[in-house]
Amino acid sequence: MAAIAQTSLIDLFVARATEAAAKVERISRSSAEIRAAIARATDGARSLVVADGELLPAEIFNTARSLPGVIAKPNDDQLATADAGVTEAFAGIARSGSICIAMGPPLRATTSLLMPLHVALLPADRIVERPRDLFEPKRIGAEAMRRNLIIVTGPSATADMGPLVRGVHGPHRLHILVLE
Amino acid sequence: MAAPPTPESQYAAPRAVANKRDKQNLLSAIRMALGIESAAVRRNTQTFNRNRYREAAALADYDALKDEARAIKERSITNLPELLNTLERAVRSRGGHFYLASTAADACRYILGVCQSHSAKLVVKGKSITSEEIRLNHVLQGAGIEVAESDLAEFILQVADEQPSHNVAPAMHYSTERISGLFKRKFSTDEPLETGEELTKFARGRLRQKFLNADVGFTGANLIAADTGTIMLVESEGNIRMSSLLPPVHISLAGVEKVIPSQSEMGVFLELLPLSFNGKLTSYTSFIRPPLDDPPFALAGRPRKKREFHLVLIDNGRMKMRQDPVLQESLYCIRCSACMNSCANFQTVGGHAFGGETYCGGIGGAWEAATGALENARFSDLCTGCSRCVTNCPVRIDIPWLNEVLRDRLNRASAGSPLSSLLGAVSAVRGDDRRASAQKIFFANYHWYAKWGTRTHGLSNALMRNGLARSVMQSLLGVDIRRELPAFPARTLVRAARELPPPAAAGTSAKAVLFADVYTNYGLPERGIAALKVLRSLGADVVVSDAFPEGRAALSQGMIATARRQARRTADRLGPYLDQGRDVIVIEPSALAMFRRDYNHLLVGASRYDLLRTRSFEPVEYVARIIAKSGRPPRDIFDVSRSPVGPRLFYHSHCQQKTLGCAAPTENLLREIGFDVATSSVECCGMAGSFGYKREYYEMSMAVGGDLYTQVQAADQPDAGGPRALIASGTSCTEQLHAGLSRPVMHPIELLAAILKL
Repeated sequence: MAAIAQTSLIDLFVARATEAAAKVERISRSSAEIRAAIARATDGARSLVVADGELLPAEIFNTARSLPGVIAKPNDDQLATADAGVTEAFAGIARSGSICIAMGPPLRATTSLLMPLHVALLPADRIVERPRDLFEPKRIGAEAMRRNLIIVTGPSATADMGPLVRGVHGPHRLHILVLE
Repeated sequence: MAAPPTPESQYAAPRAVANKRDKQNLLSAIRMALGIESAAVRRNTQTFNRNRYREAAALADYDALKDEARAIKERSITNLPELLNTLERAVRSRGGHFYLASTAADACRYILGVCQSHSAKLVVKGKSITSEEIRLNHVLQGAGIEVAESDLAEFILQVADEQPSHNVAPAMHYSTERISGLFKRKFSTDEPLETGEELTKFARGRLRQKFLNADVGFTGANLIAADTGTIMLVESEGNIRMSSLLPPVHISLAGVEKVIPSQSEMGVFLELLPLSFNGKLTSYTSFIRPPLDDPPFALAGRPRKKREFHLVLIDNGRMKMRQDPVLQESLYCIRCSACMNSCANFQTVGGHAFGGETYCGGIGGAWEAATGALENARFSDLCTGCSRCVTNCPVRIDIPWLNEVLRDRLNRASAGSPLSSLLGAVSAVRGDDRRASAQKIFFANYHWYAKWGTRTHGLSNALMRNGLARSVMQSLLGVDIRRELPAFPARTLVRAARELPPPAAAGTSAKAVLFADVYTNYGLPERGIAALKVLRSLGADVVVSDAFPEGRAALSQGMIATARRQARRTADRLGPYLDQGRDVIVIEPSALAMFRRDYNHLLVGASRYDLLRTRSFEPVEYVARIIAKSGRPPRDIFDVSRSPVGPRLFYHSHCQQKTLGCAAPTENLLREIGFDVATSSVECCGMAGSFGYKREYYEMSMAVGGDLYTQVQAADQPDAGGPRALIASGTSCTEQLHAGLSRPVMHPIELLAAILKL
């Protein structure tokens, strides 16, 4: 199969992530624009936590931390009750509309799990075509094998009580900012 | 007007009838499931089933992925002892603990020891069916440790004290209304408990506190990579992420069969596993190598402890299973649930009836037998061998074969009876197969009774309609009195074919033998005559074989030695026709499936099998091939306006025909000729050979048929164009459609014979 161009991968990612009930926005990598997008996404959140990144410049996260309501060094009680968490995404998967969270850096795992709203910053060049590509020994494959990874497809959900309900133990809402 | 709902208390509690060693428990469980659980089970399994079909159809390399997954699992099980060594090193090198438990009790003892070494008061659990297998909760709770099931389905089961009814959605037998009733009985709260949202919110709130305060987090594992020690965990709710991230101690329990060589091979399963369940990736798939680097969670006032990880793998019968030439295959299972969701019987009763204490569905019998006792697999009698699971299994396990072998072993383990011995001797059943129940021997020997019934058809047909005779049959042979038995014809297919005028000229378009399968020969010979008429008019040189049993009836009763002997004889007797260059046409799809699929097991190493497999055809499939080769448009050969039943049809293809991939030629040809064809989407009609005739399964069979009847009635509605004529390719399906709708049913080849342009 011919490789799909990165631009169509982004389109496919946006479509599929939206189908999976995530909210997706495409924005530029400017710190100011990202900060504004996080502000819009977390509108109404009284407290939020921003975890450090590894792929994106530190400046992006520092700028985001100037938003009102950000708890700079949260303790676990604050993590358990915060309204929103902001993390970097390690990769995206176009066909399934998933993002991957690489655990390890401080707050990354809890910030993507404990809060009702999770805002993820996904570098557009980190989108692969299909789920198994994550483990192919290609660009991301080699890194992926060394990390503890969570593949996230939409908000947490259950149908155990009958109808599909979004928002169980994990985030009720997932907001992905695709950074081009 | 429907009858008022029956109070639940008049039915057996699921836990009380979980073990079906005693057949009475199986019957009570079926009654309970049909009475209480069926509606929710149907809705959920059929939704999963539709979603899987939709996504699988969109995946271009679905078959290649299945081959890859199968190959990985085969290699894993072959090399399992070495993989376990590799895995142990990988886990220990990261500071984790590794324990290989030989039995359920051993695993429970180890896990309890870990919990006690941390003075644990609260264990929070993510979903783990394997922990149900070892009854872990009882052991922990017995030692005074609180166990919080945090998967909402397991939470429901814990509140209700029930076993899983499905291996991925273990509480899918519960409707919102029933959960609401359950929670109101069990909890005193001011929170509203009516809607799915409210019930989820209530459970979430309670469990959030458990996650934050747990001393130990417990999870299962979907797969484990030996090279890195990475465990793969699939879920939607976040309970597994919570259980593995927040508490300082993480225990992961899995069967040894979950180990595969390397993490790079997990990508295949990352795609196939969720696809095979509900079509799409679930919300979360974790790939983690605990102990995690992230600090464990500690609310104010609690000490922040060091992380600790224990990987507990259990044998509990699996290594013995690995040595079993047949059951070994079930170790490839990745517990995706595609087999149960694509099973018409399972869709109707779920895993509380079609299941044991832990494992359920078609694959469940092998698991219950291997991790418990052979007799615990008695519920696998509900596998009719329809084979719909076979093409839906992502690792290509031949589940009907597993169940036929289990049935064979159960037959052999039973004491037999004087009536069984007598029937067995009279009908020349193979030695040990005579220990099967009289009912099974009777149904396995349909050909024998049918031959005598046809020879004496006046008398035998009168007997079949005689109440007293039917009462005797019901009590001695378990043939349900409510079922109309098909009448024996005055002339068999073989005799009727001999009396046909010889074809004007020897055909040249194709050379074939029409196999006089016993169902057509002694039941519906007009189908065979119609096939001859159509094929000969297309210029084919077709002869008719003698009638002899090909083994389906014996195989379906688990009488494998008898089936094998019949298969060998069939291959020998059809051999000369194959040597003449003739193809084999088989009208009854379950007989055709023997040639194409099941002889793989019965004719191991026989060269005839490959010939039979590749050169046997369903009649309309064969007609379509001849027409395609001739290049003539079907409308030049057939004229829809001659149809004795009009141009509007409802076509129901046979379950095994679907699995063989030869339902489409009939649908396509009928449409090309100009018929307006609606089709059923049920997996199986529910009759399934002998199943629907058996006294103990009659109600269940009719309930399964209910979905088909509903589809026919929907297609008959004015907005769907008004009534349609019923067309079906299987003998059983014909009986079942007739039983439920009291309408005539035609085989497509009969319809084609009637509309030939002469």
